[in-house]
Amino acid sequence: MKLYLYGIIDSGDQIKESIYGLEGAGVYNISFCDIGAVVSEVSQPIQGVTEGAVLEHEAVVEKLMTNFTILPVRFQTIIDGRDNLLSMMQSYYKDFKDNLARLYNKLEFGIKVIWPADKVKENIIKALNEGEQRVLESDGSASKRFIKEKFEKYKIDKEFETKADRFVKVMDIFFSKFAAEKKLEKLKTRDLLLNAVYLVEKSEEGNFREAFEHIKSARQNLKYLFSGPWPPYNFVILPKKSDLLKDSEQEDLFDKVIQHRELVGAV
Amino acid sequence: MRNVVTKSKDVTLLEILDRVLDKGVVISGDMVISVADVDLIYLGLKVLLSSVETMEKLRGSPFIGPMQEAK
Amino acid sequence: MTLNSVVETDFPEEFIEEIEKSQDALPTKIDANPKNVEKGLAKLVLTLIELIRKLLEKQAMRRVEAGSLSDEEIERVGETLMKLENKMDELKGIFGLKDEELNLNLGPLGDLM
Repeated sequence: MKLYLYGIIDSGDQIKESIYGLEGAGVYNISFCDIGAVVSEVSQPIQGVTEGAVLEHEAVVEKLMTNFTILPVRFQTIIDGRDNLLSMMQSYYKDFKDNLARLYNKLEFGIKVIWPADKVKENIIKALNEGEQRVLESDGSASKRFIKEKFEKYKIDKEFETKADRFVKVMDIFFSKFAAEKKLEKLKTRDLLLNAVYLVEKSEEGNFREAFEHIKSARQNLKYLFSGPWPPYNFVILPKKSDLLKDSEQEDLFDKVIQHRELVGAV
Repeated sequence: MRNVVTKSKDVTLLEILDRVLDKGVVISGDMVISVADVDLIYLGLKVLLSSVETMEKLRGSPFIGPMQEAK
Repeated sequence: MTLNSVVETDFPEEFIEEIEKSQDALPTKIDANPKNVEKGLAKLVLTLIELIRKLLEKQAMRRVEAGSLSDEEIERVGETLMKLENKMDELKGIFGLKDEELNLNLGPLGDLM
């Protein structure tokens, strides 16, 4: 029996409402101690990523969110049989419990901000040209001119990053006040100044929304996107259980790559 | 009921896709039959929407999904 | 069933553009076609060389900024970096590779460069 998995909830009880998922099948809870895996039976793997299937999946998760704390499961996770499901629940039990406790009563909100990157860059170039300090000779060998050009570009890029940092910091100070956790991504693309998700306690939702409206009206030359409330997709923390590397080896490798990335920085 | 203006619908879909394809509980192992990772990679809105059109053609009727059902 | 999550924005098109730009819109299937294997290898090697070259450049910029390079050193570093850049352009040309192609996706850690 193929079980399509929607999420892990903080209850072993049966689901009272009638919820229908993929292939129109009924959604039910398979309990494991005091938690449960919410599933529906599927006859075949869904062919590719279609709008319909994705929305059906999301609708189920959001419906469950109204009554339970739910750890949303990635789209198209199909488990082969009930025994395998229970064995999976057993190996992840502690991780699931920890996450359910941490995410209890919390909602995820997404905030994206677009800024006029070209204009920002223009202003930086203007400012640099006005306060220009001739560090290097304007004429000289090809090598010197090469360095000069590179250095000017470097200064502009650096100032660009600094400005982005500043903008994001100010906004984040406002939002963080009402958030339990957050994940920020600065300059994912040149124009996407901020791509952030915040984990907000249900009781703080109003304050959080207000903080957003405040920032929106304070800086009207930027473009804003606000989304939510979402199930806590971005705040589930699970260790990667891989047989390829022992846990300790895997950690070292990740640390090394992260260190390297910091070194490379805004390359 | 949500706004059915095309562009707003697309942004919502993108936001959902970003979460549902890659985030949350990601389980791997022998017991998990799901489409290979490579097929779960986001293929771009245009490709996605054309799959829906294909679905419509196959079913011979406009696709009935949760967005069109009123409650 | 309806969805509860709402996405509010006055600029849906702009955000669609940025979101699409930032996502991996193409599947990265492993290509075992022998004709492309060579190109794949070249891409990998050149990506790593590019990484090192960019690191060197950045290091040089930091030293110029700090004023810790003598005139002669600036001359030498400039010449080296210039030659490196020209060589890379040449190699990219030979293998028909564009700048955007010389990158590695590290999954959850994002891109290498």
